[in-house]
Amino acid sequence: MTVPEEDDSPVVEDLADPRGDPFLRTRFAVPARPVTYLRRERLTRHLDQAVATPLTMVNGSAGAGKTLLVADWVAGRAGLPVAWLTTDAAGEGPGVFWAYLLRALRTAGVPLPADVGVPADANRVGPALPARLAAELSGRERPVVVVLDEFDRVTAPEIAEQLEFVLHHAGAGLRLVLVTRTEPLLPLHRYRAAGELTEIRDAELAFTPHEAGRLLELHGLRLPPAAVGGLVERTRGWAAGLRLCALAAGQSPDPEIYLKEFEADRSAIADFLLAEVLKRQDAGTQELLLRVSVLDRFGPGLANAVTGREDAEGILDRLSRGNAFVEHLGHGLYRLHPLFAEILRAHLRMRRPGLEPELHRRAAAWLRRSGALAEALGHGAAADDWQFTADALIDDLAIGQFFTGPRSDTITELFSGMGREGAGAAPELVRAAVRLARCDIDGGLTRLHRAQRELAEHDDTADDAAARLSCALLEALAARLAGAPDRAEDAARSAAELLDMVPAELLDRHPELTALLLDHLGSVRLWAGHFEEARSALTAVAGLAPGAATALPREDSLGRLALIDCLNGWLGRAERTAREALAETERFGLSPPSGSGVEQLVLAAVAVDRDELGRAESLLGTSAESHPAMRDPVLEAGRALTTARLHLARGDTEAALHAVEREVRADVASPWVRAETALVAAAAQLAEGRARAAAGLLPEMPDEQPACAVGAARVQLAAGRTEAAVRLLDRVRPEGRAGPAVTVRAALVRARAADEAGDRAAARALVARALAQARQEGLRRPFVEAGPWIRPYLAASPHRPATGRPAPRTGPPSRRPTPPPPVVEELSGRERDVLRRLALTMSTEEIAADLYVSVNTVKTHLKSVYRKLSVNRRNEAVRRARELDLL
Amino acid sequence: MRYEIRVDGHLSEPLIKVFPELDHVTMSGQTLLFGHVVDEAHLYGLLARCQSLGLRVLEMRQVPE
Repeated sequence: MTVPEEDDSPVVEDLADPRGDPFLRTRFAVPARPVTYLRRERLTRHLDQAVATPLTMVNGSAGAGKTLLVADWVAGRAGLPVAWLTTDAAGEGPGVFWAYLLRALRTAGVPLPADVGVPADANRVGPALPARLAAELSGRERPVVVVLDEFDRVTAPEIAEQLEFVLHHAGAGLRLVLVTRTEPLLPLHRYRAAGELTEIRDAELAFTPHEAGRLLELHGLRLPPAAVGGLVERTRGWAAGLRLCALAAGQSPDPEIYLKEFEADRSAIADFLLAEVLKRQDAGTQELLLRVSVLDRFGPGLANAVTGREDAEGILDRLSRGNAFVEHLGHGLYRLHPLFAEILRAHLRMRRPGLEPELHRRAAAWLRRSGALAEALGHGAAADDWQFTADALIDDLAIGQFFTGPRSDTITELFSGMGREGAGAAPELVRAAVRLARCDIDGGLTRLHRAQRELAEHDDTADDAAARLSCALLEALAARLAGAPDRAEDAARSAAELLDMVPAELLDRHPELTALLLDHLGSVRLWAGHFEEARSALTAVAGLAPGAATALPREDSLGRLALIDCLNGWLGRAERTAREALAETERFGLSPPSGSGVEQLVLAAVAVDRDELGRAESLLGTSAESHPAMRDPVLEAGRALTTARLHLARGDTEAALHAVEREVRADVASPWVRAETALVAAAAQLAEGRARAAAGLLPEMPDEQPACAVGAARVQLAAGRTEAAVRLLDRVRPEGRAGPAVTVRAALVRARAADEAGDRAAARALVARALAQARQEGLRRPFVEAGPWIRPYLAASPHRPATGRPAPRTGPPSRRPTPPPPVVEELSGRERDVLRRLALTMSTEEIAADLYVSVNTVKTHLKSVYRKLSVNRRNEAVRRARELDLL
Repeated sequence: MRYEIRVDGHLSEPLIKVFPELDHVTMSGQTLLFGHVVDEAHLYGLLARCQSLGLRVLEMRQVPE
C-alpha cells in the first residue's frame, strides 16, 4: 500500500506533526538520483564552498537540475550531518515551517533538547523558538548542513526573517543551502558583500555542449558535436529540456533527424517536448499521467483510484526509472516534476474538460479511507464538495482542530471557501465552529441549532455519534463564551454519554477534543463560582500529556487554575501555576493572539498585590490580545477587575470605576465577579472618603467567599461599624480557608479593631502575624491600603524590613522578602559559561572573545539566561543565579 | 490596466487555455499574450503562471487603454 510503515528514525518526536502524516515523511528524504544523472565536477566543486560560507543559494528555473545537483553533492559528503527539507505547498505558515525544520534536524540526527519548543500554531511562531534553536546550533562543534529545497514556495516574509536570525546567531554551527526558483527574501547583498554567500545561478547550471554530449550518451544517444551544439542553443542548456529531447529522440526512428526538426521548431520548449514525450506513451500511461497531475504526491493505490484501473504500480515504476516526468520519493511515493505537473494539468483540462473535480473527489475518498485526513480535506475542498469535506472532518472527530493545534489556521482557511451549499449536520457544525472560533456566539448558535435539528431527525445513534459529540463540544464552547453554566453542564453530560460510542482510536488521535471540552466546562464553572468543581475539570486538562494539539487548552487551564488560586489569596501558588502556563506557551510558540493570555492577567493581579505596579501594567498590556475562542466572560471580567485594582493602587479612582463600569455580557451573572466589582467600587468610594456610599454597596457583596467577606469587613470597618466587621470575620473564618492575600487583610481588619478598642498588644500581635504571612508571599498592598494607623505597629514589629528604613509610605517591605520563583527551565552548559563570566563582571565583548564566539551569540545566550531566570538586567541575573546556587 | 506579455516560442492550445483571460497572437517564434490586468496581484500571478509552465518571458509592458 502507499501509506508507508512507521518512520524508522528513532529520534523523531511525533510532536512536530501530531498526525504523523506519512505523506509528509518524504519531505525529509534526500531525493534519489536517477541512473541517467550526470555529475558535473565544476558544479560540485563550487558547491563544496557551501561548507565555508553560512549561506548557499542554488537559484535557477524549474528543471534546471538544482535539486539533483544538491542531492548528489550531499550524498558525496558523508561526513557532514545534513538535514533536508522539501518545503511544501505555497503559503505554509511559520508554525508548520519550523515544526518541519525541527523535525528535519532531528531526523538528520542533530540532537535538539525538548526545550527548543514545538510550534503549536500554524501561522505564528514566537521569537523564543528561533533564539533557542540558534543558541543550540551555535554550540555545535561541526556544522549541520540544512538544505531547504523548493524554497520559492516559502512566501511568508516572517519565515525568511526568522531564518536569517537563526543563520546569523548560529554562527559556524549552521550551513544553510537554499534551493529556489525565485530570489529569497533574505538580505543576500549583505552576505554577498561579506563573502559569506556561495551562489550558483541559472547561467552556471546550464549545460555546456560537452556536458550535453555526455548526458545524451547516458541516454544512449551519440550525436556529432554540431548536432549537440544546436541542441544546447535551442534549449539554452536547460537540463529538463535536454532530458526530454533525449527521451523523445530516443523513441523516434532516426534521432538525429528528429533533433534537427526540433531545432527548427519554434514552439515553447517545455510545452513542445512534454507533448512529444507524452504522445509516445501508450494510452494507459498517458491517461495516468494526465490524471495524477491533480495530486501532489501519490502512490500506486491513489493513482489507481484516480484512473479507475489497476496498473499504476508497474507504470509508475517504469516512468520513474526512465526519468520521464515522474520522480520516486521513497516509501513507495511518487510525484510529478512540478513543471510537468503544471503543463499536464493544462492538457488534462483541455482533453478531459470537467473531469478535474471528479478526480479530486476520487482522491479525497481514497485518502479518507486510508486515514490521510488532511489530504482528503484538501482534495474535497478542491472538488468543491463541501458535504464530503465537512463529513470527513466531523466523522474523524477533528472539529477541535478549528480551535487548537498546528492545523487550526489551515482548517479555517480550507473551509473559508465553503458557501451555503452542503446541507446536513456536518456542514452546519463546521459553519458553527468557524463562527465560534471567531467568538461570534449568535452566529455560531444559529448554525449549531440547525445541526442539532438535523441530528434529531434521524435517531440512529452509532452512526452519528461523532457528529453528536462535535455538537456537544461546540455547545459547551458556546455556553462558555456566553457564561451559561447550566448549558455547559448539559453539554458535558451528553458528551460523556457519547464518548463511549465513538471508537477509542479516534479519541486517542484527537486528544484536543476532550481537552477543549473539559477546559470549557472548567472555565464556565469558574464563572459560576463553583471553584472546586472548576478545579477538578481544569486539573484534568492540565494533567494531559503535553503536545501541540492540546497546547492551547492546557495553557488556558493552567492559567485558570492560577486564577482560582489568586482569587482565594494564594499568590505564590497562583504565580507558580501561571508561570507553568507561560512556559507552555513558550514551548509551543503560542504568541498572542494564539494563547489565552489568562496567566498574564493572574501575574498582573499578583504584581498589584505585591505593589509592583509598573510590572502589573506591562503584564496587563501583554494579556490584551487573546485567542478569540477563549475570550469568555471570566477573561473579560478578570481583565476589568485587575485593571481597576491597578488604577486604585495608583490612586486613580475614576479610572478604576470606569474599568468596571461596563457589565460583562453573560447569560448568568457571576457571584464573585459581582462581589469583586462591588469591592472595587467600595474601595473607590472609601478612597474618596465616602464611607457611607461604600457601605451602601455592602448588600452587593455576598460573603460565602472569604475574599469577599474580608472585603466587606474592611468596608464595615471604614464605615465605623467595627463590631459588625469583626462579627462578619468571626462568622466566615477566612483564616482556615483562604490564602495569605485574604488572611493578611483579615488580620489587619482585626488589628485595626483591636487598635480602636485600645488593645495595642493584640493589635501588635496581629500585625506581626500578618507581616510574617505576607513576607512569605511578597505581599505588600494590604499594608499600603491599611491606612496611617498601622505605622507605629510596623515600626515596632520584629518582622519589619531589615533595611531599618522608616517606611515612607506605610511600610511595604522594601526588599522582596520571598524566595524568588523557581527556575522553570534548566540553564544549558553554554548559558552557565556565559553567566559565570557575567558574574566576573566581564563585558559582552570580553565574554565573546573568551568563549571564541560572536558577540551576537553571547547576546542570544544572555537573552535566554534572562528569560529562564525571569530577570531583565545582568546584575539581577547574577543575583538570581547566586540565590539559586547556580554559580 | 492593459498589459502585453511576450514569451518565447509558440504555445500549444492547452497552454493558451491556461491564460483564459488574455488574448494572444503568435508571430515569428514568439507569442504575445495581451489583455486587461486587474491589479498588481494579478500581474504577478500571470508571471508566476509563466514561470510554472517553463515559459521564457521576453518582454512585459503596460500598453495604453
